[in-house]
Amino acid sequence: MTIRAALCSAGRRRRLVPYLAAIALSFAGAPALAADLIVSAAASLTNAFTELGRSFDAAHPDAKVQFNFAASGALLQQIAKGAPVDVFASADQETMNQAERQQLVISGARVNFASNSLVVIVPQDATSLPTSLADLGAPGIRHVAIGVPASVPVGRYTKAVLEKAQLWPAIETKMIGAQSVRQALDYVARGEVEAGFVYGTDAAIMPGKVRIAFTVPTDTPVLYPIAPVAASTNADAARTFVAYVASPAGLAVLARYGFGKP
Amino acid sequence: MEPAWVALGLSLKVALWATGIDLIVGVAVGFALARWRFPGRELLDSILLLPMVLPPTVLGYYLLVVIGRRGWLGGWLERAFGIHLIFTWQGAVIAAAIVAFPFVCKSARAAFESVDAQFEQAAKVLGLGAAAIFCRVTLPLAWRGILAGTLLAFARALGEFGATLMVAGSIPGKTQTLSIAVYEAVQAGQDDLANGLVLLTSVTCVAVLLLAGRLAPARIPGRS
Amino acid sequence: MKWNVAVRKTMGEPLHRFELDIAFASDATRLVLFGPSGAGKTLTLKAIAGLLRPDQGHVALDGEVLFDAEAGIDVPARDRHLGYLFQEYTLFPHLTVRQNIAFGLDKGWRNPRRHVDSPAVDRLLDALELRPFGDRFPDQLSGGQRQRTALARALAAQPRALLLDEPFAALDMPLRSKLRAELRELQQRFALPILLITHDVADVEAFADDIVQVDAGKAVFGATFAAPARSGPI
Repeated sequence: MTIRAALCSAGRRRRLVPYLAAIALSFAGAPALAADLIVSAAASLTNAFTELGRSFDAAHPDAKVQFNFAASGALLQQIAKGAPVDVFASADQETMNQAERQQLVISGARVNFASNSLVVIVPQDATSLPTSLADLGAPGIRHVAIGVPASVPVGRYTKAVLEKAQLWPAIETKMIGAQSVRQALDYVARGEVEAGFVYGTDAAIMPGKVRIAFTVPTDTPVLYPIAPVAASTNADAARTFVAYVASPAGLAVLARYGFGKP
Repeated sequence: MEPAWVALGLSLKVALWATGIDLIVGVAVGFALARWRFPGRELLDSILLLPMVLPPTVLGYYLLVVIGRRGWLGGWLERAFGIHLIFTWQGAVIAAAIVAFPFVCKSARAAFESVDAQFEQAAKVLGLGAAAIFCRVTLPLAWRGILAGTLLAFARALGEFGATLMVAGSIPGKTQTLSIAVYEAVQAGQDDLANGLVLLTSVTCVAVLLLAGRLAPARIPGRS
Repeated sequence: MKWNVAVRKTMGEPLHRFELDIAFASDATRLVLFGPSGAGKTLTLKAIAGLLRPDQGHVALDGEVLFDAEAGIDVPARDRHLGYLFQEYTLFPHLTVRQNIAFGLDKGWRNPRRHVDSPAVDRLLDALELRPFGDRFPDQLSGGQRQRTALARALAAQPRALLLDEPFAALDMPLRSKLRAELRELQQRFALPILLITHDVADVEAFADDIVQVDAGKAVFGATFAAPARSGPI
């Protein structure tokens, strides 16, 4: 029976029900595949993990990995508020510690899988190259892109380093807060800031647009942890993925993007 | 809660400037679209409406490309006047003004079109010049519609987030508007701060609406 | 008043074209353009007032050229010193009767205030029996009061002639005769030449010193008419 006929006929309300039900069901969406894996990973892992995801899918045909990249702090908030994430990989220990304190991840399965370096980058066409943290205080450097320390790990590393060198108050006045390390990278690539703090792996992504001025030694090493999320409904697949990332195959992919051994 | 008041002050400053610019430019453009016929008029109208339908991040990106240091406008401004717009409250004003512009322009055009051209003709025969006719006849009969669009524009500018974030960044005291402050507080898990900011924003919006209600007088003369 | 009008204009879409081609000359103080609806009378009136730009032709009143296509003369409407009464009166709805009447007295950017005394406005209010309604808005007036207000407004600027577009069409029969008499009396009192367009024969009888009959965009000459004198601009 056509919809028009259904509307015009005497028992129209009863006959409309199947149509309304069909519309409501289609709005609910297709059910997720049982083996879909949702991985929230730090922004700096975007390129490496995307490739890792492809090889994981190839090796495990019954699972499909979906990624969610953002600053580690933002990802933590999403998980804390109940987002259906299966695996969490952050760019620093502090964020994962917070996750453990809130019992959001399975501590026993937490693993460090990669290391990174903190670097200062400048735009490709920069006329002068700072060679030390103190150089960033020069008047020629008007703006410095630094991740927002409250939620972005690279910002926390940067603040710790600058505080130790007693340069934080001076540099903070020039700081342009980035919502993620990739945004900091973008600001430098566009030339909107004279310098920025990112990871060595990020600088390698835009070789033609940014130059590394110098590497910044950090007291706490830049170490990336990964763990399955406690509330995950895909516990087995989550552990498998975590194991894959830490395996030699996974480490090889990470190495190609400049990540160091854990 | 001190950062909240700073963010509120900044949001109001940016929104007022943006709405002010939009009012002047939007009324002028709306009048031109309503009264003059020229080839490509409807095409221009559609282009001017784009900020209303484009996602704010798309707008933010275009702005970044145009007024950024390497953009054709931003680069020229820097070379000629030493002006940087990115990471400044002026940049935030530009972003907010562009996203809110269609509200003023569209309502101004509709308001002017609803004014019978015969009123303007009567004023012309009585000896008035074009500017006097606009001030004494056209505007008084159209201001209600323009005001409605302007209030929408103000609300839109007050809440602007996506384009502003990309163009102005989030510098507390300089470009961190209320919307951006809420976003960062949530990102950082600072729920108390987020709640306070959201409450402040809501109260401000209600106040704006109440003020708008008082601006429109009760009697509408002459309209049947 | 020497009226000397010859205008041509093509209007409308290719499928709905209207050709206006009117020419007449007259020495009458009270001239009536008479013809059915849609004949082009209002267009002619607007061309004389400067609200419509003809494609060709000329408009001259008392020897002064207001429009001449060939010579490139087009005096703007605001400088032609003509009074115009619109068919729907077109009173400004946001202004009171007083303000409407005083409208043309000041050409500045601000409207006349509601409570300022002006002897000129008062005189007109009295002449048209509008005193009690001075502070009312147009939507609070009857049809006859609106017409009188529109007249007063046109007269306030002391025009050299009055153009009236079907002034009585919107009124009922008894009111029409009353207002016809009033208008005739006003016209004589102010010694004002008038050009009145109408489709009502009663108006012709009441007013016309001279008639131009208009139909389908063309002038058809009346009995008292000589061939149009297409005198060139002076």
